[in-house]
Amino acid sequence: MIQTDDKKFASYQTEYLDTLKKLMQESIASNELHYFYNVIYSYLKPEQMLNHKPEIIIMGTGIPEELIYAAGSKPFYILGGSQGAVNWSDDVVPRDTDPVSRSMLGFLLNESFNLAEKALIICPITCDSNRKMAWLLKSSGKNVVTVDIPPDKSDPLAGIKWTQEMKKLSKKISDHTKKRITKKSLMAATKQINKTRKLMAEFISLCEELGPTFKGSTRMAVLNAYYYSSDPRAYSMHLKNLNLELIEKIRTQTTQSYVKPSVLLMGSPVFLPNYKIPFLVEDIGMHIEATLDTTIQKIYSASKKEHQDIDIFTAVIFSQLRYDCSTAYSKNEMLYQSASWQIRKNKINGVIFHVLKGQIEYDFELERLEKLFGEASIPVFRLETDYQYQDVEQLRIRMEAFMEMLTQNQYRTNKAAV
Amino acid sequence: MINKKLTPSEERQRQRFIEKSSRVSAKYLRRLTELKGAPDTLKPFIDVLENIYVNMDGPHFNTKKPLIGTYCVMVPQELIYAAGGQPIKLCSGSYTAFSIGDDLVPRDACPLIKAVMGYQTMCVMPIYDDCSMMIVPITCDCKKKMAGMLKDLVNTYSFHIPTSKEDDTDLDQIVNELYELIPALESVTGQSITHKSLSESLDQVGFAQYQMTRFNEFKKNQPALIKGTHAMAVMNASSYMPINDFSEKLYLLNQELAKRKKSKVFVSQKKEPRLMVTGSPIIFPNIKIPLLIEEMGGSLVADETCMGERSLYDPAVVVDQSFDGMMRALANRYTRPCTCPTFVNNDQRIFRIKQMIKDHQVEGVIYHVLRGCLVYDFEYQMLEEELGKLNVPIIRVESDYNEEDIEQLRIRIEAFIELIKLKDLQKK
Repeated sequence: MIQTDDKKFASYQTEYLDTLKKLMQESIASNELHYFYNVIYSYLKPEQMLNHKPEIIIMGTGIPEELIYAAGSKPFYILGGSQGAVNWSDDVVPRDTDPVSRSMLGFLLNESFNLAEKALIICPITCDSNRKMAWLLKSSGKNVVTVDIPPDKSDPLAGIKWTQEMKKLSKKISDHTKKRITKKSLMAATKQINKTRKLMAEFISLCEELGPTFKGSTRMAVLNAYYYSSDPRAYSMHLKNLNLELIEKIRTQTTQSYVKPSVLLMGSPVFLPNYKIPFLVEDIGMHIEATLDTTIQKIYSASKKEHQDIDIFTAVIFSQLRYDCSTAYSKNEMLYQSASWQIRKNKINGVIFHVLKGQIEYDFELERLEKLFGEASIPVFRLETDYQYQDVEQLRIRMEAFMEMLTQNQYRTNKAAV
Repeated sequence: MINKKLTPSEERQRQRFIEKSSRVSAKYLRRLTELKGAPDTLKPFIDVLENIYVNMDGPHFNTKKPLIGTYCVMVPQELIYAAGGQPIKLCSGSYTAFSIGDDLVPRDACPLIKAVMGYQTMCVMPIYDDCSMMIVPITCDCKKKMAGMLKDLVNTYSFHIPTSKEDDTDLDQIVNELYELIPALESVTGQSITHKSLSESLDQVGFAQYQMTRFNEFKKNQPALIKGTHAMAVMNASSYMPINDFSEKLYLLNQELAKRKKSKVFVSQKKEPRLMVTGSPIIFPNIKIPLLIEEMGGSLVADETCMGERSLYDPAVVVDQSFDGMMRALANRYTRPCTCPTFVNNDQRIFRIKQMIKDHQVEGVIYHVLRGCLVYDFEYQMLEEELGKLNVPIIRVESDYNEEDIEQLRIRIEAFIELIKLKDLQKK
């Protein structure tokens, strides 16, 4: 058994403990928030990782989790996000592999954790790294099922291809859990997840109302905790309580005189514990008004009513396909529409387009999005980085310059209004 | 061709681009022809490359068949011929087009994509401009995003390649993809794919594959009968030739190689290290690696790349003569033996390389990685381990579409060749 003070875990532990400490120090006073920090802590701490023997592991967020709950199991998400885990996979991947994939492999191929001992690993092939990661995992004896993503959403047969893939996946999940996915179980799972998603959507809207009082990084951590939670019901309950607390805060909140520049954080996903970018944005005095990544539109899909006339399986899987904002597609209109929606909400002054080294697909999307934001006179700041902390000061200087520009813009707009 | 009227400065830029592109291609073609031992029957292939890349004249097909641009090796040529079209491979190796594409796509995208986008936007290459449709197999992230970008410029068809090829259901999926491709092709060519036309095109491509098998057999000869760079030029030229024309010319080349074998005319010496190149595609005019190998005293005897032997080495085997049977044969041929790293499980590539090492008596492997080509880079480590067991040395060379790294590559390749020579000496 490895010791938690082992050298191997030193950087891993430091990172998540520091992140949690900072989150706790800087968030508003709230009893409910502690629950979410505990969820994150429980998920990440090495002692817990050693004990985890999940039945189903999902790499990334590109799979409808309803199917796993319907098969009587719980998904264990591997989202990357850890610099410590990146270090563990250095020897097995090429130099240019993106940190998310490296981190995922670090978690899964780390013999100490042995997370995948009994698990079925679901790997959606969203990018080249996933394609080859699946191969590496298979080669090392792990039980992996890959899911093909139709690359062109506008292909009239994309839906059929996706349905076939999801049927194959459902069968694999059922075979592994030895529990059939029935209409009833899927309905119950969907109901529970939709309930949670509606609460998440409500939480986001309450945060928007509160403005900079409720930090963007705290909001992101609460939403991220959903993927690290082992008890979705408890997560929902505590989120409901947190929402009630926030309603009360809004009621008593006084109007603030100073308004920070608000930004939209989009591009490569930001997952705990690596909160380098959100912390940096906030440290220099900007407010993360919204985030746009692969998880965010899924939250809003629960409130849409368009799939009521079709069977529950089709509704669940098509909701995933439609609202998937990932760059797994040759052109993703949903990402574009979501960005347009953020413009229409008229609350952001600038966009921070975050690109993790090696995640080239995001860079391909940038040009179109830059044009879109440019038409709305919203400046876009492309920031390329990885999970390491050495470049923080360079990024800080660049980001400060960006903030100054946004502040000037704000000042000019206000002056024009007067 | 260009629709909008160019400003004088744009026109100057265009002219400079044409001149530079043509000059670079002419230079590599000259180095190619200056390599000793070129067979006389190689000339038609060189002419094709000259016509496309130096004269920029476009393919001189004696036909009015619509040109269908393809990428990678997964698009069945047979279907295009059966629909009355002319396939043409558009993966590019141009340094000049790469420098234009560098401004159009993200910095870390692979040079092949940059070169394609460069040509596509400059509108100077008839092989790109005259295409009625482009079929882009989605084999990697860059091709996926390139398909999205091309859609805004030309009629583009995204060809979904399943990531797995092990089960029967995977084969069914690729069969369905091929059936989906048929109406798209027919709408462009205006001609239906019938049992007869498909059967004929299978025969035509099959004959080319038969000639290619013969050609590959000659490549196994020790000492070598043809320089590896010349063999790669043949494969590159095949991308721009009608299949019957290619088969005919290759038949003549094979005849000449047969004569050479009989009269013991060789292009290498027995002691020359026999090398193989694998990894990212080597596309004209970016032939610096094969040229360096042979200029440094190595003998390039095999290549496992998608612009080389991988594209034509295996014929479609039709067991069931029905239309569906032929479609299944095509699906089988274009995915099952394919060793492209797009497939999740690609152990087959290691077997294939091992087989080629044995067949071609390869003494060392050069693993070519184009900058940004992550899928090939991922497979290097496993191959290195496997070849280590066989005691076959391997080096990884990373390059880009420019000439700046030539001297570095030269030193590395030279050292590798010396290492093999030393190993031979130690054996003796």
